[in-house]
Amino acid sequence: MITVRIPTPLRSLTGGEEQVQAPGETVKAVLDTLETKHPGLRDRLLDDKGVRRFVNIYVGDEDIRFLDGLETKLKAGDEISIVPAIAGG
Amino acid sequence: MADPTRRVLIVGLGGLGCPVAQVLSRAPGVELWLCDDDVVELSNLHRQTLYADADVGHDKLEAAQKSLTFGGAEPSRLRPVRSRLLPGNARELVRSVDLVVEGADNFATKFLAADAAHLEARPIVHGAGVRWVGTAWAVSASGAPCYRCLFEDVPPGAQQGCSEAGVMGPVVGFCGALMADLALRVLAGDAEAFGALYTYDGQTDRLRQVPAASRSNCPLCGSSPSISQIDEARYTTPSCAA
Repeated sequence: MITVRIPTPLRSLTGGEEQVQAPGETVKAVLDTLETKHPGLRDRLLDDKGVRRFVNIYVGDEDIRFLDGLETKLKAGDEISIVPAIAGG
Repeated sequence: MADPTRRVLIVGLGGLGCPVAQVLSRAPGVELWLCDDDVVELSNLHRQTLYADADVGHDKLEAAQKSLTFGGAEPSRLRPVRSRLLPGNARELVRSVDLVVEGADNFATKFLAADAAHLEARPIVHGAGVRWVGTAWAVSASGAPCYRCLFEDVPPGAQQGCSEAGVMGPVVGFCGALMADLALRVLAGDAEAFGALYTYDGQTDRLRQVPAASRSNCPLCGSSPSISQIDEARYTTPSCAA
């Protein structure tokens, strides 16, 4: 099972949950699974080119852009973090 | 003998800029350039700690200078810049200082500050806060990894406004203090201050640090950059988005 940490701006899509869990062998598989439980989440993270340009997805401390992108392999216990650009203050 | 004064441009005197100014105004040898053109609103007071009830409706710069001076800052080291950071003034302002600290409430200004800092080879500390989450990180004068390495470009489409999203006072207070810490480390020549993105979650009190990496195809600091000047059309976005 993979833990996905949900940033505050997206928690309205997860019922307020700060972290959710889903099975999957790749980042894409986990996000696909999450989409069935939390519709709309994938669209906030991905577009037809892949990860949206103002969103960063990490596995552990590694940005998936520097791994294998959405095809980055996962192992049980991995943690995915989503860091979107935010502006405010 | 070289002028020992270090000039710091603070872009935006909001929930992040206020604590940054409070800390840096008491740092020896620092001259603050305070950049804002707004007035104090009642809805600002819970998080913008330089202002009081009596300041509502009044100029932020005047209120901030008064508050900072009352707190012990030397008035001659506070330089008001009554303007937003704009495509027409960004490079000149950034060129005039040793460090930029931006806590702007909109993406256009954040990308503009990032681009101007890179083009003028100035270090910059970025910060943002929305609802319960805040971020902070520092980019070196060499400009890599830069803001565009992480976030690439201004998000398209309508974004949620500050009044709808909300900004928690303790979150921007925490992140503002972290930005001030990064600024002081940069001024002290600490190369370790650069390259780590800090994310603070005020609901769990978790501070997360992840390394930021340069992108070889970054349009600003990559191997074949496409941004070599400030083009006004590149900086259009609604305010205060998440």
